[in-house]
Amino acid sequence: MTDLPIAAAEEAAAATAGHSTRRTAPFIPLPVTAARATTLAGAVITTASTFMSWTYTTDFPGDLTVSGYPGGLQVMTLIGALLTGVVALGTFGLKGLRWLNPARTNNGVLLLALATLGTTWYTVIDIAAKLGGFANLDPGGIVAFIGALVLFAGALALPLDRHPEEAADTEYYELGWFEQVTPVVRGYAWLREARLHHSELRVPDTRKLNPWLQRLVIVVVYALGLKILTFGLATDYSDIFIGYLIVVAIGVWGLSASGLIKQFQQLTQHNKRFAGTIGVITAIAYPFAQNNELWANLGVYVLIVATVALGLNIVVGLTGLLDLGYVAFLGVGAYTAALVSGSPFSIWSGTQFPFWAAALAGMIAACVFGVLIGAPTLRLRGDYLAIVTLGFGEIFRIVVRNLDGVSGPKVTNGPNGIAQIPDLSIFGYNLGDTHSVGSFTLGRFANYYLLMLVITVIVVLVFTRAADSRIGRSWIAIREDETAATAMGINGFRVKLVAFALGASLAGLAGTVFAHVTNSVVPDPYQFSGPVPPNSAFLLAAVVLGGMGTVSGPILGAALLYVIPQKLGFLSKYELFAFGIALILIMRFRPEGIIPNRRRQLEFHEDDAPAPGNRPMGDDTVPATTAGA
Amino acid sequence: MRHRSLLILTSVLATGALTLTACGSRSDDSKKGGSDSSGGSKTTVVIGVDAPLTGANSATGLGIQYGVQIAVDDANAKNLVPGVTFKIKPLDDKAQPATGQTNATALVQEKDVIATVGPLNSGVAQSMQQVFESAKMVEISPSNTNPALTQGKDWATGTKTRPFTTYFRTATTDANQGNFAADYAVNTLKKKSAFVVDDKQTYGAGLAGIFQGKFKELGGQVAGTDHVNTGDTDFSALVTKIKNSHADMVYYGGQYDESELVTKQLKAAGVHIPLMGGDGMYSDTYIKTAGQAAEGDLATSVGVPVETLPAAKTFIDTYKSKGYPGDYGTYGGYSYDAATAIIKAVKTVMDANGGKLPSDARAKLVDAVQKTDFDGIAGHVAFDQYGDTTNKQLTVYQVKGGKWTAVKTGVYNG
Amino acid sequence: MHTLPQQLANGLFLGSMYGLIAIGYTMVYGIVQLINFAHGEIYMTGAFGALAIYTNLPSSLSIWAALPLMLIGGALVSVVIAVGAERLAYRPLRNAPRLAPLITAIGLSLALQQAVFNWYPDAKSGKRFPQLPGGPFHIGSVDVQSGDLFLLGAAVICMLALGIFVRSSRTGRAMQATAQDPDTAKLMGVDTNRIIIIAFAIGGFFAAVAGLASGLKYGQIQYNMGFQAGLKAFTAAVLGGIGNIYGAMLGGLVLGIAEACATAYIANVPGMEQFGGGAWAQVWAFVLLIVVLLVRPQGLLGERVADRA
Repeated sequence: MTDLPIAAAEEAAAATAGHSTRRTAPFIPLPVTAARATTLAGAVITTASTFMSWTYTTDFPGDLTVSGYPGGLQVMTLIGALLTGVVALGTFGLKGLRWLNPARTNNGVLLLALATLGTTWYTVIDIAAKLGGFANLDPGGIVAFIGALVLFAGALALPLDRHPEEAADTEYYELGWFEQVTPVVRGYAWLREARLHHSELRVPDTRKLNPWLQRLVIVVVYALGLKILTFGLATDYSDIFIGYLIVVAIGVWGLSASGLIKQFQQLTQHNKRFAGTIGVITAIAYPFAQNNELWANLGVYVLIVATVALGLNIVVGLTGLLDLGYVAFLGVGAYTAALVSGSPFSIWSGTQFPFWAAALAGMIAACVFGVLIGAPTLRLRGDYLAIVTLGFGEIFRIVVRNLDGVSGPKVTNGPNGIAQIPDLSIFGYNLGDTHSVGSFTLGRFANYYLLMLVITVIVVLVFTRAADSRIGRSWIAIREDETAATAMGINGFRVKLVAFALGASLAGLAGTVFAHVTNSVVPDPYQFSGPVPPNSAFLLAAVVLGGMGTVSGPILGAALLYVIPQKLGFLSKYELFAFGIALILIMRFRPEGIIPNRRRQLEFHEDDAPAPGNRPMGDDTVPATTAGA
Repeated sequence: MRHRSLLILTSVLATGALTLTACGSRSDDSKKGGSDSSGGSKTTVVIGVDAPLTGANSATGLGIQYGVQIAVDDANAKNLVPGVTFKIKPLDDKAQPATGQTNATALVQEKDVIATVGPLNSGVAQSMQQVFESAKMVEISPSNTNPALTQGKDWATGTKTRPFTTYFRTATTDANQGNFAADYAVNTLKKKSAFVVDDKQTYGAGLAGIFQGKFKELGGQVAGTDHVNTGDTDFSALVTKIKNSHADMVYYGGQYDESELVTKQLKAAGVHIPLMGGDGMYSDTYIKTAGQAAEGDLATSVGVPVETLPAAKTFIDTYKSKGYPGDYGTYGGYSYDAATAIIKAVKTVMDANGGKLPSDARAKLVDAVQKTDFDGIAGHVAFDQYGDTTNKQLTVYQVKGGKWTAVKTGVYNG
Repeated sequence: MHTLPQQLANGLFLGSMYGLIAIGYTMVYGIVQLINFAHGEIYMTGAFGALAIYTNLPSSLSIWAALPLMLIGGALVSVVIAVGAERLAYRPLRNAPRLAPLITAIGLSLALQQAVFNWYPDAKSGKRFPQLPGGPFHIGSVDVQSGDLFLLGAAVICMLALGIFVRSSRTGRAMQATAQDPDTAKLMGVDTNRIIIIAFAIGGFFAAVAGLASGLKYGQIQYNMGFQAGLKAFTAAVLGGIGNIYGAMLGGLVLGIAEACATAYIANVPGMEQFGGGAWAQVWAFVLLIVVLLVRPQGLLGERVADRA
C-alpha cells in the first residue's frame, strides 16, 4: 500500500488533468495552508468546548451543565470533532494517520465537519428552542457553536473533489419552462458543478495486507459497529438520538468519501466466509452485550421484519415481480403456527407440534398460498400481479376475520384471534423462561432473538445459494428482459412461480416465530400500510431503501425503518407521512438504495458516464453473468 | 507502519468506547439525582399508560392518557399517598399488538413504573398480558371488552378460568352490555324483530353475538344478520336487505365510524326504525356526523349518567378546562378509575410496610388491586375473582333533539 | 328475489363511481404503462377540496348554487395534485425500471392520505358532507336517492364527453396515437409530454367528480376513503381491460353489481350460507377478478395486444 503524501497525489492529479475528469476546487478561496490551519483550529476549539458547560439548567435532557467532562449530546460533538480532526491530520499528511484517508481526498474531511456542525448546531438550537432563547447558553455552548462553524468553513476552503465542469452548451430539459431564464440556468449549472464527486477515486488495495491483520480489522470494525448500535439504542430521549443519527449518517458518508468503507468492503469481499462468520457472531453477541429485555425485544422484531424483507427481495429485487400483499404470507405462517401451537383458542387445541414441524407447516402453508395466487397471475404479463397481490393482502385479513364460526367456518377464531400461544420449547430449553449463561442472563426476548437469528441465517443462506444458482440467474434474466430471457429458453412462468413460492415460504417461516413472540395472532396487523411493521408497504420500503437484489440491503433497510421511528417518539404523528415522502425522494434521488446492487445502479443511472475499470469491490450483489442460456 | 497505525486505530476506538460508556452512565445518574432533588424527600411512582396515541384510534387513546393524567394530578394535589409523587409514562401502541408488547416490555424494564393502565384494544392486550404476568405487574384496561381476556376460552359455556392474575379491567365485558340492550329492546321498546349487524371486530362481533342470543331468548325474532368491514362506506345492499326483512330495529355491534353511515343510509331509504349499539357508538361524533338521521337511535353505556355524579362532572370540567386533546367521553372515566385503583393500592401497600414502598411493590400491588373497593366516577370500583369489574350499572341513551339523553339506568343481573 | 331490481340499482350506482375513478387509472396506464397507485387519494382529495369550498361558502347559499363551485374547487385540487405528481414525481422516472414509479406512487398515496389526516381540520374521523335535498324517488319497485341520480348523471355525461373528445378532437387522436406507440407518435409531431399531462388532468378531474358524488351520496367523507376506492377502481379497470375507457366503466358496473348481489344473494345459495353478506363481498369481487384474468386475461373489452418489451 503506497502511502503517497496528499500533495504529491494532487500534483499527480494535476499532471493528468488533461485526460482525467478529476477536478478539485475549494468553495472558499483560501491558501491551502490557511484552510488546513482553520480546519484544525476548528476541530480543537470544538473538542475543547465539549469539556465546558453549555447551558445553565439541568432541564435540558442529558445535563450539559457540567464542566470538566462531556455528557449527553456533547459526546456526539466530541466524537464528531475528534474524528474530523484525526482524519484531517491524516489527509494533511501526518505520518501514521494517512491510512484514514486512502482515497486522498478532502471530501471526507468536509463531510465529517458537516456531521460535527450538524450535531453541534442541532444541540445549541435545541437548547435555545427548548429553554426559550439563546440566553440559556453558557459560554461553552457559544464556543461550540463558533468552533463547529470554523471547522466547517476551514473544510470548505480545502481543495475538494467535485463534479467536472458543465459544458457551456449543456441543455437542461429537466428545468422545463425555466430553461429560458438565464439566472436560473446559471444557478442550476453552478449547483451541478458544486456536487462532490468521489465515488470513482481509486483506493489502495487492502487485500495485500497480512491476512491476519485483515481479519483483525474485520473483527474490530464489527465490534465497533455493535458498540455504535447499542449506544444508539441506549439513548433514552429523542434529542440525543437525533444528534447520534446526524453524526452516524453523515459520518458514515464522510468515511465512505475518504475511501475507508470501500477498503473495508474489499476486505469483507476478500474474506467473505470469515466476515460472514464474524457478522453472525456479532449478531449473537448482541443480547449478551446488554442485559435489557427491551433491546432484545427490538432486536427480535427487527430480525423478523428483516427476514421477511429478505424473502420479499427474492420476489421484487431478484425477479422484478411487484408483490404488494406480501405480508399476507407472513400471516399465513403465523396463523398456521398458532393453530398447531397448542393454544387453547386453536381449533386443534390439543395438538402441539414441535417447533421444527410447526415451522415446516408454516412454510408449506405459505407456499401453497403463494402457488395458488401466483399460478393464475404469473402467466400474464405486466402489472396484473401487483393488483392481484394487493387484493390478496386485503382479502387475507377479511377472510381470517370471517372464519370464526359465525360468518364462516370456524378456523381462525375471527377477530379475537388465537391468543395464549404457549412459548416454544426446543430440546427442553423453554424460550419463555429466563436462563443464565455464565454471568449473562437471557430473558424471553433474548431467547427468541437467538432463535430468530438462526432463521435469519437460514434465509440468508437460501437467498445467496438460490441467487448464485442457475435459477437465480434465470430470475435476474427475467427481471432484465423477459422477452430475451424467454427467447434464450428460460421457462418464464415456471421460474417466476418458483421465486414467488420461495418468497412466500420464507415469509411463512418468519411468521411461525412471529406468532410465538407476540403470544397471539390477530387479523389486524396484516394490512397494506400501517403505522407499524409488518405491513406490505413497510416491507417494500425496506427492500427499496436498503437496495434491491442485495443481501445486506433489506436487512439494513428494515432495521433503520424499524428502529428510527421507535426512537423518535415525537415524530410518530407524522411518521406515515414522512414515510411516504421518503419513498418518493428515495426513488427520485437514490433509486438503487443505500447498498446498491451494481447492476441495478447502472440501470438507474444510464446517462451518467461509467468509469471503466474502476468497479467498486464491495458489492454483495449476486453475481449475474449471462443468464442460464 | 501499518501496524503502528492499527495500534492507533485500536487505541482510538478503545478510548472512544470508554468515553461513551462513562458518559452514558453519568447522564443516567444525574437524571435520577435531578428528579430526587426536585421532589424533595418524596418518592416518585410512575403509572404507565399504553394506548393508541396516534393514528385512527388516537382520539379514544388520548382520552385514556388524559383520564389517567387527571387522576394522577388529583392524587398529587390531594396528597392522597403521603410521601409519593405520581407521574405517568404514556406510550403509544398504535393499536398494534407487537408495539403493545414492546411497550409492555419497556414499562416492565423501567424500575419506577409500578403498574399500567391500558390498552384500548383487546387484540393488543393479548400480546401484553404475558409480559406483565411474568413481571408480576398490574395491568388495568379501561376498555377491553372481550370476555376471554379474564374468563378464559370457555367463558361462554360457563367454565370460567382466569388466565392471568395481573390483568384487571374497569370496563364491563360485552356480555353485560349486550344482554342489557336486548332486555331493553324487548321489554321496554317492545321490539319484536331485530336485524343484527356487526363489523367483525373483537368488540363489535362479541357484542352483536350476545345481543342476538339474548334477544331470541326473550322471545324476539332475529330477522336477519349481516357483517360489514371497517372502512366500508356503501351499505346500500345491506339497507335493502334490512328493508326487505321488515325488522323493527337494527342492532349494530361496532364503532360510530360505520354505524353513522348505516343509520344515514337506512333513514334515507325510508326505513325509519331505530338503530341501537353499544358504548362504541355513544359519542357526540355519531350525532354530529349522522345529523338528523341519528334521531331516535339508542346506545348502551356502562355506569350511571355523568350528570348525576358530581365527581364525574368535575372530571369533565377539568378535562375541558385544561384543553386536553382526545375524547374523554368513551373511556376517560374508566381510565380515571383504573388509575385511582392503582393509587389507592399503592397506599395500601405502603401502609402495610410502615409508610415505605416495599422492594417487591409490584407483586404486592396485585393483591391490593384485587381488593380494590371504592366509588369511582363511573360507578363502584371493585374486581371479582376473574379481574372483571363488579360494576354492572348500565344506562341506555337515546338521541333526542340532537343529544344523547339517558332513558334507562339499571343493573344487569344475569 | 323481488329485491333484485333494487340490488341491481344499488350495484349500478356503486359501480358508476368505481367506473369514474377507474377511467383515471386506465387512461394513465394506457399511455405511460404506469399504475398510478395514488389515484385513489386523488379522488379523496377531490372530495375534501369540494368540502373545503362548501364550508367557506355563506350558509345561506343553497346547495344547488354551491354545487358548481364545489365541483370547481374539488377538480382544481385533484387536477393540480395529479398533474403535479406527474411533473415532479413520475416524469423524472419515465426511463427508470418500472418498479421505481410504482413505488413513488405508493409513497405519494401514503403522503397524501396522511397530509389530509394530519392537516385538514378535524379530519381524524368522518367529516359530514352536504347532501342533495329531495328523494327518495320511487321508480317501479326501486328507490333512488338524489345523490345517486347526480352520480349516475355525472358518470354518463363524463363518459359521453370523453368518448367524443378522444374520438373527434385533435388532442384526443394524438392521445390514441401516443397510447399505441409513443415513439412513433413523437416522430409524427405529437408532444407526448403534453398528452401525458392531459391524461393525468382528465383522470384527476374524473376522480374529483367521483369524490364530490361520493360525498353527496353518503353524506360523509373520510381521509382513508381513497385506498379502498382506488383498489376497487383498479380492479374495475383490469376487469374491463386496462387501457380501454369504456372497459373501465363497464368493469366498474360489473364490479359494483357483483358486490351488491354477493352481499344480498350468496347466502341464499345452498351450501354457501356462511359465505354471504357484506363481510364476504370483497372476497367475491376478488374471486371475480381472478376468474376473469384466467378466462380472459385481456379483460372484458381489452384487445389482445402484442407484448411490449
